Amino acid sequence: MLKKKICLLGSYGVGKTSLVARFVHSMFADKYHTTVGVKIDKKVLDVEGQELTLMLWDMAGEEDGAPVKLNQVKDTSGYLLVADGTRGKTVDIARSIQQRIESEFGPRPFLLLVNKADLKETWDVPEATWSSLASAGWTVLETSAKSGQHVEEAFVTLSSRILKAQADDSADEDDD
Amino acid sequence: MTPQTKTTTSDLFHLFDLAVFEQLSDGYFQSLGSMPLWMPVLAWKKEGIADLADRFPFLESFMPACDEVWETRASEQVYSDVWTDTDRLDREIYLQAVAATSGGRRFVALRSLPREAYAHQQSAHDLELAQNQIRRLNHELELKRLEAEKANQAKTDFLNTMSHEIRTPMNAIIGMADVLSLTPLTPEQQKFVEIFQRNGVSLLNLINDILDLSKVESGHVELETTDFDLFDVIARAMEVVDARVKAKGLWLRQSIAAGVPRYLIGDPNRLRQVIINLLGNSIKFTEQGGLEVSVEPDPENREPGRLRFAITDTGIGIPEDKLGVIFESFTQADSSTTRKYGGTGLGLNISKQLVELMGGRIWPESKLGVGSTFFFTARFKMQEDQSARGETKTAQPAHATGTELEALLAGFHILLVDDSEDNRTLILRYLGRCRCVIDVAENGLAGVELFKAGTYDAVLMDVEMPVMDGYQAVGEIRRIEGETGASATPVLALTAHAFTDMIVKGRKAGFTDVLTKPIRRVTLLESLAKFGPAKSGIAPPPAASNRVRIEDGMEDVVPGYLEKRRSDVALYRQSLEAGDFDSVAKLAHKMKGTGAGYGFPKLTELGSALEEAAHNSDAAAVKSNLDEFAGYVQSIELEFPA
Repeated sequence: MLKKKICLLGSYGVGKTSLVARFVHSMFADKYHTTVGVKIDKKVLDVEGQELTLMLWDMAGEEDGAPVKLNQVKDTSGYLLVADGTRGKTVDIARSIQQRIESEFGPRPFLLLVNKADLKETWDVPEATWSSLASAGWTVLETSAKSGQHVEEAFVTLSSRILKAQADDSADEDDD
Repeated sequence: MTPQTKTTTSDLFHLFDLAVFEQLSDGYFQSLGSMPLWMPVLAWKKEGIADLADRFPFLESFMPACDEVWETRASEQVYSDVWTDTDRLDREIYLQAVAATSGGRRFVALRSLPREAYAHQQSAHDLELAQNQIRRLNHELELKRLEAEKANQAKTDFLNTMSHEIRTPMNAIIGMADVLSLTPLTPEQQKFVEIFQRNGVSLLNLINDILDLSKVESGHVELETTDFDLFDVIARAMEVVDARVKAKGLWLRQSIAAGVPRYLIGDPNRLRQVIINLLGNSIKFTEQGGLEVSVEPDPENREPGRLRFAITDTGIGIPEDKLGVIFESFTQADSSTTRKYGGTGLGLNISKQLVELMGGRIWPESKLGVGSTFFFTARFKMQEDQSARGETKTAQPAHATGTELEALLAGFHILLVDDSEDNRTLILRYLGRCRCVIDVAENGLAGVELFKAGTYDAVLMDVEMPVMDGYQAVGEIRRIEGETGASATPVLALTAHAFTDMIVKGRKAGFTDVLTKPIRRVTLLESLAKFGPAKSGIAPPPAASNRVRIEDGMEDVVPGYLEKRRSDVALYRQSLEAGDFDSVAKLAHKMKGTGAGYGFPKLTELGSALEEAAHNSDAAAVKSNLDEFAGYVQSIELEFPA
């Protein structure tokens, strides 16, 4: 059975744990819990007819003085960057995490989830940020762990990208 | 004694809730001792556990650290971060791993943290988060504060600049009106000039008020703490308004209650400003009767040094419902007042703020048609010695008339350093009747050069100039005096900056006194008259004087021409230093063509020599001719036609 590691990364309090809880257990708790260290969950998914076990690494949120632990990301197949639409700055933090990962380990499939779509009227992500994300070619999904909006879609999309990247890699190897 | 039972290692692990594994050489893990209750079901083979990380994926990222401890033995043990996992009943558990090595054996142990310990870590983490947030907010606040400070500084700088920019032309306007009033005029022209003078002064006062108010409001006013004579302050304030009181046919008197201490410590200038403001206000609204300034110990606070002042008038009075608003900026009791009585109401607002800075308050009492009294209280420190002492020395020349002052200044040798041609013309005009000798430089550097070569009774120096500003120049002059052992020449700063800190700054820089533009003729004469002719002991020998008589009808142009040639010295020197012979030649050529026409054949001669030397690019010749030229223009004393 195919097993893939996916890391959830982003600023603190953006909803990483909630997204996993929604995806794995179809639950949502309004109360905020800080994640200390890492929380690992498992979910078996059928992607394009292929059974895939996702190891979901829900990493402690990044904050001043406590950056993402890159050694725990090293062997990840792909990652979800999570930001909080009500705090525009968290999008910048997600971008900075992406840059660090890419410069350290090279390109890996990833998506940006701008979470808390249920509070969309209070979002404060500047227009310039959206357009620069678009011009960088990022795939951005507006999600809500509370309502479940786009949550499943996010994990499935990333999974199929991971599989596609893998297929491309082996095709490259075959070419050699 | 209780019998001891045998405790195995396995029992100990169990006791401490630890799951301990050893990695064998084939890579399989072997458990040591029994497993704790929380331990999930593990997949066993007969060789042991194939991959611990298979059940505890978190260990994947921890294994490299384990390997490092096991292989290099760089440290005895290494701990993992905490992670959240599930026990055999699928409940959340919080685990931490530790890898250790002993005698080449590879151990890894897992322990489960009690929920409270995890919660404790969460709280510690949340606390850190909150601290970070506070730090960040503080930082943002600090940035905002700096930004605000910068904006405030920009405002102050703007005011400074505006003050300077407005005062410079005002200096020329008011000054020229003063000069014009001294020339023969028809009565009608005389009246026009007086209108110029009066309105110029009002405009200037208004500018001062606005600047002052902005300064007080932005917190830029710091009160002085200096010894002063209260009676003197009151007398001087009354002196200032005396002319206006007399012009309106009013009386003005003072009343100082017994027990008012005379010698105080505080800010006499600001106190005087408040009294003058209030007197000015009262005069404006009083058509008959008069005014009184009185002072008594504050009846509401008997602390020594607390005083209550009252300025009482017999004017139109203030309606009761307007008593509260008159201290606000740009507010008068009746907006039609501005048209009828003039003024902006700024003076009262400034007074209020100044009084508050002096630890007091201000309030009016008034009866319509009977008059008003403005009270204010203030707190001062008292000087130890309250016994009467001699009168202050500055009083004497202040009352000398213009003509007397002119006589006092005869024979004065003055160095005037100012880059503005208008201002130079003005000062030269002011001093025109004094029969003093004036050398002129257009910037600080040229001024210092002239100072080195001559002996001056006084130096008048602009502060803001190109090449070398007044601060640097006065510093140079003080340095030169220090070297030669000469006594300090009075150097008066001429500045269009009205702020009091300019005065402090000026004094610090070495200026003897600071005159604020626009400078009135009498003020300038008085300031100069304070200083007798130089009595310096070891001053450099004066240059031999060359008296040149101005031809009839040329008296308006010759001094200006000479002044320009004097200021050329610096230009020549700069060009020579830069090796720019073309510029030297051009300057010299002009001088060659004009010198004799203005009555200076020697200048034509020198111009010709300089031009030739410049054409030949002969630096040495240029320099020697230039030195001669500098000495010559320096030494010229103009004789005006009778």
